[in-house]
Amino acid sequence: MNQTVIDAHNISKVYNPKTIPVYAVNNVHLHLVKGEFTALVGPSGSGKTTLLNLIGGLDRPDSGNIFINGTDITSLSSSQLVKFRLKNIGFVFQSYNLIPVLTARENAEFIMLLQGMTKSERDARIEQLFRQVGLEGLDKRRPSGLSGGQQQRVAVARALATKPQFILADEPTANLDSKSASNLLDVMYKLNQEENMTFIFSTHDQRVIERAKRVITLVDGRIVSDTAEVNVTEAHKADG
Amino acid sequence: MILQLAWRNIWRNPLRSLVIIVSVAAGLFAALAVLALYDGMLISRLRTVIDTETGHIQVHDPGFKDDMEPGFVIRDRERWADLLDKDPAVKYWAPRVVSSGMLATPSGSAGVQVNGVISGKEMPVSGLDRKLATGMAAGGWRMADSGSRRVDSGRQAADGESWMADSSLGLNDGRSILIGRKLATKLKLTLGSKVVLTMTDKDANMVSSAMRIRGIYESANTPLDEVNVYVRGTDLAEVLGVPGSIHELAIILKSDDSVSAVQHRYSSIFPGDKVESWKELSPETSLMIDTVDIYSYIIVIIILIALSFGIVNTMLMSVLERRKEIGMMSALGIGKKRLLMMVLTETVFLSLVGVPVALISGWFAVSYYHKNGLDLSGMGEDLMKSFGYESLIYPTYPADKIPAIVLLVFISALLASIFPSLKSVNIKPAEALQK
Ligand SMILES: Nc1ncnc2c1ncn2[C@@H]1O[C@H](COP(=O)(O)OP(=O)(O)O)[C@@H](O)[C@H]1O
Ligand SMILES: [Mg+2]
Repeated sequence: MNQTVIDAHNISKVYNPKTIPVYAVNNVHLHLVKGEFTALVGPSGSGKTTLLNLIGGLDRPDSGNIFINGTDITSLSSSQLVKFRLKNIGFVFQSYNLIPVLTARENAEFIMLLQGMTKSERDARIEQLFRQVGLEGLDKRRPSGLSGGQQQRVAVARALATKPQFILADEPTANLDSKSASNLLDVMYKLNQEENMTFIFSTHDQRVIERAKRVITLVDGRIVSDTAEVNVTEAHKADG
Repeated sequence: MILQLAWRNIWRNPLRSLVIIVSVAAGLFAALAVLALYDGMLISRLRTVIDTETGHIQVHDPGFKDDMEPGFVIRDRERWADLLDKDPAVKYWAPRVVSSGMLATPSGSAGVQVNGVISGKEMPVSGLDRKLATGMAAGGWRMADSGSRRVDSGRQAADGESWMADSSLGLNDGRSILIGRKLATKLKLTLGSKVVLTMTDKDANMVSSAMRIRGIYESANTPLDEVNVYVRGTDLAEVLGVPGSIHELAIILKSDDSVSAVQHRYSSIFPGDKVESWKELSPETSLMIDTVDIYSYIIVIIILIALSFGIVNTMLMSVLERRKEIGMMSALGIGKKRLLMMVLTETVFLSLVGVPVALISGWFAVSYYHKNGLDLSGMGEDLMKSFGYESLIYPTYPADKIPAIVLLVFISALLASIFPSLKSVNIKPAEALQK
């Protein structure tokens, strides 16, 4: 049996509840197990970012519960939530991922430093990660000296460095050309394979969607399709 | 890591940071300059008071000061003279005969304090000879002096009273008088002018004598110059009906620090006399010394408050510009404490970088003027003198106040960082990261 990483029940998020309510996330159930490589797709405004913010603990749902590796994060205080994020969740954003005054290496080390890892632990991990994401020799560059794709790979390395429960990436390829986008996906997929790291990323790029093992489609804050369920149904069909 | 991050963040916008650093440096430099001037003026004022006005200690009969009645003479004159001559703490001392009087001329009159002095004793105590030398615009007096001095020396020997008849001040005889420039101008008097000096003697009789002006002096304190006139002590004592007596002893000690010890000692030796230090004799100077530190700090604090507004503004701008970045860092889990630390450290760095610049450049500037003097006569020599200040100031580096100033800068930096750092921790990652 695969270990459950994300288990969200009945979560909803409503913006402007008093004026014109927007159901950004509407009664969503989501279940992710370790090692999944999931794409969250849907048109702009369908609630992808809102959903990722909720399961990443960056925002709180108006109703429902979110269990991350068994912990109900909706019951945590905000300072507990900060610590929880630091320890358990890796983030890759669409932009503004890196701290401009730090080098690539320092950026990748950032979370390890916040967690208080020793220098030797960090050095070993960074060397391995920079090799894995294909950034050998670029560790001393500032973000301004890296291409967009390279910057996103630093962000992936940083997210992965402390081996979180899962990595959450909100449109990580949106600002990249197709070659860099596919390259980033290669890196993420490789890490998914090599480290059994769980990824959930939002996108509306068809080529990126094709790379995902599982695709969840959102429309108006509701999940309208989930390939995992399709697979389950198909499996049932095959059985029957 | 937070320190490193903060330090690098300061230099993201070097021009903006430089503006703050330069203004902290300039503000602090200005504060130091004011303090140095203040200290310099104070020390100079203190020297003026002690060296030319009051001396360290004065002795009177307790009844004398009220009305300056000639009868209240110092009783144990000989014992005092003996003590003062022998006391190793004493540098110089001078006996004085003092009376209030009226100086009349054909063009007007003025109330004066008549000081009967013994030139040789008086000169080192109050520097009256120096005031005369600088007081004379033309070399007229000096020439007249050197002329009369030659004549005097003959007389002096003939009189056989050299200790009394010393005429270095030009007080050749009982008819000689020295007046201040301010009084001379007011009464339109010049060297050689005749005046009539009227006083009240011991028995309350009016006594008048015709005097001739032998010298015009000018000190750093114009109000005093208008009041004090000098005559020969022995003659004044006779005119007042108290021959051979004195009313005042002015004492200069070897060290400023021994004043209160010596004062107490003398009071216990002569309980019947009133022994006062410059602090009692010039209470305004004493008050000034007691309050100058408070004023200095008020000035520093005002400057720092002004600087703080600039710092708050800059840091706030810098935090708001980095909204997304800070949102990202808090999404990653940097935590409020570290975020506060970062902004706080940035603010403190920014504020403190200018401090050594100011301290060092201030030190050089002050040292230069401390050696060469800073001429403020351009600001109005008369203005300075009317308050009793020399117009040439020797600023003193306020080294004793540096730790407190640095601490104040540090505190104001911390205060200035409160608002921006609160702003930074209130940035919500989900909102900040939205496009
Ligand atoms: N802070 C907010 N205030 C009000 N409405 C919001 C806010 N954030 C998102 N929304 C609305 O919620 C819906 C979902 O937005 P979002 O999650 O960003 O969608 P996506 O990421 O799929 O484009 C949209 O209609 C959007 O306008
Ligand atoms: Mg979005």
